[in-house]
Amino acid sequence: MNTMDAKLNELVERDREHECPGFGPDRVCVRIVAVAKLPSRFGDFRVVAFWNNRDQKDHIAIVHGDVIGAEDVPTRLHSECLTGDVLGSLRCDCRDQLETALQRIGALERGVVLYLGQEGRGIDLANKIRAYALQDRGLDTVEANLALGFRDDERDYAVASHMLLSLGIGSIQLMTNNPDKINQLTKYGVKVSSRLPHLLPPNPHNQFYLETKARRSGHYIDFSGTPHLQEQSDPVLVEGMLD
Amino acid sequence: MPQDTIIIGAGIAGLACARGLRQAGRSVVVLERARGLGGRCATRRFEGQPVDVGPMFFHGHEPGFLAALGEVPGVTVLEGWPHRVEGNGPPCQPGALDDFTRRFTFAEGMNAFAKHLAAGLEVRNQTDVARIQPIAAGFEVIAADGAVFQGRDLVLALALEETRALLDTLPPVPELASVRALLGMFFSVPCLTVIAGYPPDARELPWDLLYPESSEALQLIAQDSAKRRDPRFLTLVCQARPRWSRIRLDQPMVDWSPELIEAAGAVLGPWALRPLWTYPHRWRHARVDRSCELAGPVQVTLAQGQTLGLAGDVFAAGGGLQAAWLSGTRLANSMKEKA
Repeated sequence: MNTMDAKLNELVERDREHECPGFGPDRVCVRIVAVAKLPSRFGDFRVVAFWNNRDQKDHIAIVHGDVIGAEDVPTRLHSECLTGDVLGSLRCDCRDQLETALQRIGALERGVVLYLGQEGRGIDLANKIRAYALQDRGLDTVEANLALGFRDDERDYAVASHMLLSLGIGSIQLMTNNPDKINQLTKYGVKVSSRLPHLLPPNPHNQFYLETKARRSGHYIDFSGTPHLQEQSDPVLVEGMLD
Repeated sequence: MPQDTIIIGAGIAGLACARGLRQAGRSVVVLERARGLGGRCATRRFEGQPVDVGPMFFHGHEPGFLAALGEVPGVTVLEGWPHRVEGNGPPCQPGALDDFTRRFTFAEGMNAFAKHLAAGLEVRNQTDVARIQPIAAGFEVIAADGAVFQGRDLVLALALEETRALLDTLPPVPELASVRALLGMFFSVPCLTVIAGYPPDARELPWDLLYPESSEALQLIAQDSAKRRDPRFLTLVCQARPRWSRIRLDQPMVDWSPELIEAAGAVLGPWALRPLWTYPHRWRHARVDRSCELAGPVQVTLAQGQTLGLAGDVFAAGGGLQAAWLSGTRLANSMKEKA
């Protein structure tokens, strides 16, 4: 066991009886409950499991290198998306965004991907599929998606902030195309030293981002005619788009 | 006189929403079809003895909801009720009986919560709304008896199917197309209910709630009189399963009411077949199914700036009274923010 493993395991000990007033409107509090090595096709990682006081959703941190007490740690927030992350759905760009983040961080000295549980309760996934069903019928509004619980950003930021502070990370470089995320995290006491744009490498599935203009609403339609949902509260940027 | 907000439905969602808006200084009128308050959170009196007809106890974990219940004045809180639960059938709300949930009821009846929420509010009872329509910078609500109400914002806080029916009286508003389609994916389940009264010493029952596993008809038998001080009757509330209820929903009460008593007799023994009196009630839209939960209330702004809000037990996770209260309270909060 090297020092990083030992230090992470100390956090498990430390958090056993951790209680705090909680973050955000829901006063969510998390504890580090388990740590293990996670060698992956994207590099050498450790996976850190968190418990939270609000729901049955599992949040995890995928950690590369020594992050405890470190400054300027490259950090990506990713919200769980079963259909994209696991099933490779092309209705969203979640898998591209996750893979790119893991690949980049795996190649750096250190970094963290916070994988925020979203679909832990059965109904969340069912409601997401209801949102897709509305979309299939050409109906898609913010009101309907809000009611379906399709993204609770505020909760995400509260959970993410507590996770970063639990990990003892001094400051982060946030990998995002959404500068508002910085304000949200700063509000909860996370030190964000800079922002790293999260550019996706071009591939056949995101080619349309380079070739079609976004409609005024900011919604992209791919070659098959399927609208792409922005599931990561982070606009998709593909390398070459800004040229 | 035009109101800031008209709320249709004096159930827990509508009253929670009205209370929230009223506290923010809005003028609010609540229109209610029935004579009483609380909607499905209903309590009836039989020779003065309260009997709960809908939900039998409060259960939840949301701090705000529990705090609101803690403010109900002049009630005897029966903490931890039901103390004795028998049978392995499913409760109406998953999680109602789990370890992390607080449970309690009121000796005066569940309905005390609604009366408390309504204190200081303007509620127009026996006002059956027939249709709604947008007017310049507001809404007009037309009752079945021809009475007309005007307000800037409108909240529908009814059972899901009733909300849908009222939305259908609106002219096709593009802003509402996806919300209507969304609500079309959700549904409530019915519950035929019979209250049966027996002599107070008819039986010593070892349970407060019984969830019979074997009965095709019965989801729940509640010993309601176990909540009351010196009850005049032993009262059992027999609530039927959704499928059983659905099949008989449009049959006359005199057909299904004895059938439900027979089912209770099959579970409890022949003594239960001969109550002193019975009182049937048809809950056409008793509660949302566990697969039908939205995350939050709906709030739509129409072209002229008026807000249409939707609240009720489908508009928050978990279903039941907690979801109804949460949806109404959250809707009031977000309408306040918008103003």
